[in-house]
Amino acid sequence: MRFGSRYPFVLFGVLSGAACQEKLATPTDCPDLCPGNSLIILDTVLIARAGLDSTFTGYIDAGSVGALLISSGLDAGEARAFALFPKRSDSVSVDLVSKAYTIDSVAFVLNLIARDTAAHHLRFILHRIAPTTDTATSFADLDATLTPATVIDSTVVADTLKSGAVRVLVQGDALQRILPIDADSGRLGVGVRVNADVPTGARIGSRASLEGGPQYITYVHVDVVDTTKRKQQITISADTANYLMQDPPPPPPGRLFLGGRSGSRMILRFSLPKLIKDSAAVVRATLELTPAVPIKGLPNDPGALQVRGVLLDLGAKSTPLSVVAATAALPTGATSVQTADLRDVVTLWFGPNGTTPTLLLGLSPEGGTFSRPEFFSTASSTGAPRLRLTYALPTHPGQP
Amino acid sequence: MTLRSLFLGLVVLSAGAEKAGAQSSQFGARGLGFPLRPLSVRATGTGGGFGLFDPESALNPASIGLVTRLSTSFQSVQNWRHSESPAGSGSARDNRYPGIFITGPIGGTRLILALSASGYTDRNFQLASQDTLILRGQPVAVLDTLSSQGGISDLRLAVAWRQSRSVQVGLGIHMLTGSNRIASHRVFSDTAFSGVSEGSTISYLGFGISGGVMARIGRVVTLAGMLRADDRMHVQRDTTAIGTTKLPVTASGGVSFQLGERLRVAGSATYRNWSIADADLVKQGGIGSTNTTEFNAGLELVTSKRRPQQRPLRLGAFHARLPFSLRRGEDADETGVSVGTSFRFVADRAGLDLALSRVWRKGAPGFKETAMLLTAGVSIRP
Repeated sequence: MRFGSRYPFVLFGVLSGAACQEKLATPTDCPDLCPGNSLIILDTVLIARAGLDSTFTGYIDAGSVGALLISSGLDAGEARAFALFPKRSDSVSVDLVSKAYTIDSVAFVLNLIARDTAAHHLRFILHRIAPTTDTATSFADLDATLTPATVIDSTVVADTLKSGAVRVLVQGDALQRILPIDADSGRLGVGVRVNADVPTGARIGSRASLEGGPQYITYVHVDVVDTTKRKQQITISADTANYLMQDPPPPPPGRLFLGGRSGSRMILRFSLPKLIKDSAAVVRATLELTPAVPIKGLPNDPGALQVRGVLLDLGAKSTPLSVVAATAALPTGATSVQTADLRDVVTLWFGPNGTTPTLLLGLSPEGGTFSRPEFFSTASSTGAPRLRLTYALPTHPGQP
Repeated sequence: MTLRSLFLGLVVLSAGAEKAGAQSSQFGARGLGFPLRPLSVRATGTGGGFGLFDPESALNPASIGLVTRLSTSFQSVQNWRHSESPAGSGSARDNRYPGIFITGPIGGTRLILALSASGYTDRNFQLASQDTLILRGQPVAVLDTLSSQGGISDLRLAVAWRQSRSVQVGLGIHMLTGSNRIASHRVFSDTAFSGVSEGSTISYLGFGISGGVMARIGRVVTLAGMLRADDRMHVQRDTTAIGTTKLPVTASGGVSFQLGERLRVAGSATYRNWSIADADLVKQGGIGSTNTTEFNAGLELVTSKRRPQQRPLRLGAFHARLPFSLRRGEDADETGVSVGTSFRFVADRAGLDLALSRVWRKGAPGFKETAMLLTAGVSIRP
């Protein structure tokens, strides 16, 4: 190996740049030895800005509810679901040839999302209703049609089933109850109600939900030589599925509330002290909401509170920040202060580019939950929404 | 050595200078850190006793005066240490590279140039402590860690004049630069509270000048002396200036005896008026500093007269007072012994030097530390 006059310098430069250093671990004693203090941790409570907390409603259109509600005797409100199915075909295609069929049975499939698991013998009862039913129909009008005379069939949901498909099988003479009616252009309307041993309710899938809306499956047989193709089925999804609710009385003025079929959101605004906004790091942030009355809803199906920040505070039309959200369960019947840890949401408020300290609260899925919490607002003498903030202030350690 | 080579070397040394450091210690948490010695592996093996006379050490600019060919060296230190404090004890290890050295004569003259990067102070530490806070009305246990990585490097450009085989003088210009990356973490026993951290970088910049002389008297005795003055150290936290720190004057003298053809012994004493930095350090929130003295002595026993650097035996010891105590008014010091040797290859064009040191450090009551340091250096003489 021959070294020119400059290569050793280059070699040592490269070596010095590539050299590594192991992580050190030296246990010792503070504050005797520590050159500086540990981060300062402080607690504070921020009350929502007075008069600037509100509830707004009407966030989802009638066809976009996240679930269909059905109830019987529930404090949170009476609800009946309905589904409308398009005309069923008069024939089925077997090997690309249309064939007439004979109906064996029919199954209505409802996708159970949640129920009160403590309520036994939950029964789904299906009624034939006019296919002109829509969200403009009043609850009373719909409920009036759900009489014993219009019953198609019913099924008892196994007490062990918490979610999943529930099939209501119609066969034999009962099939006469769903024969197409020419005046309805072959469309079929089905109303759904429930009952159980106690007042209860259930949430089933809507057309907008992941679980999917109600389905109407017709099992038929056709007269073909190939016996493996004789049994066929015709599956029709509801083209309209919704629910009508007999809402409880509206909360008195000055209260904040969530829930309802059209969706509602609470907006809370806070004022961050400048020292905290500029210098602090969030250790823990807990939103505290005090129920004004026991939270209404379906027992054992808590409301899912969602808390988000906003990009810009435009009041009711504020755009929620979708990146981070905090969630909390709102148990039915709860009277104690409800909390939600929102460190990730609140962290976005801090620093020079922090977002506005405004919170937008809603329930998930919007328009698809029985939960109807009412909270004290800043207009109340006590129990105003508050943010309990634990934060750290820097100490700039490293003193000589 | 050409100017182009020097410039190239300066560039690459500057790139690595910030990382240059040496042994870490709990005694490096205060002040500017743990003070380091700009010694070669050979000088380290002799307890620093040969430091003023050694052409590969960056202590005395006159010591390069007898260099006749281009030489480069690089060293690395493996450090195993055990620390004790009133809070408990623990062991740690780390690896650093405290020295890069390049020297060579300027052709046709009696001038010798040297460029070096060595550690001035080392501030690598990680401290842990526990506490209990009352948060939201409940006691919550917390664990704090405070760590620092970095130190201050001493970049030196030195020139020596070889008056004769007996007398050499030298002058060095120093740039002190480096940084401490400070990180503080606090975690909570209750996981509902998120851990928090803060970090900052404290950077340093200062300049100094040193002058030295080395004179051989007769065949046996060689004397050496060095005087160094450093200007104020400018200190910044991130981009904000937080003050300046006066740096000490260093005065060092030593004597070496050539006892026969195989044995050489040397000793030195060094004084630094670190108390000049005391007021500035206190003003910046520190404990302060005190003047220091250091004594070094060592010997080198040559086993081959024809190749004196092939497997010599080196022994040495030193004792030094540390400038930055853990508690004000309570001194800290370091005592060490060392042994070393070296190997030469390829017609002495390449070499490997080794030194093993055992050091004992103590400071405020309850604070003490022992460490074993293995220093290895590679040198090349193309």
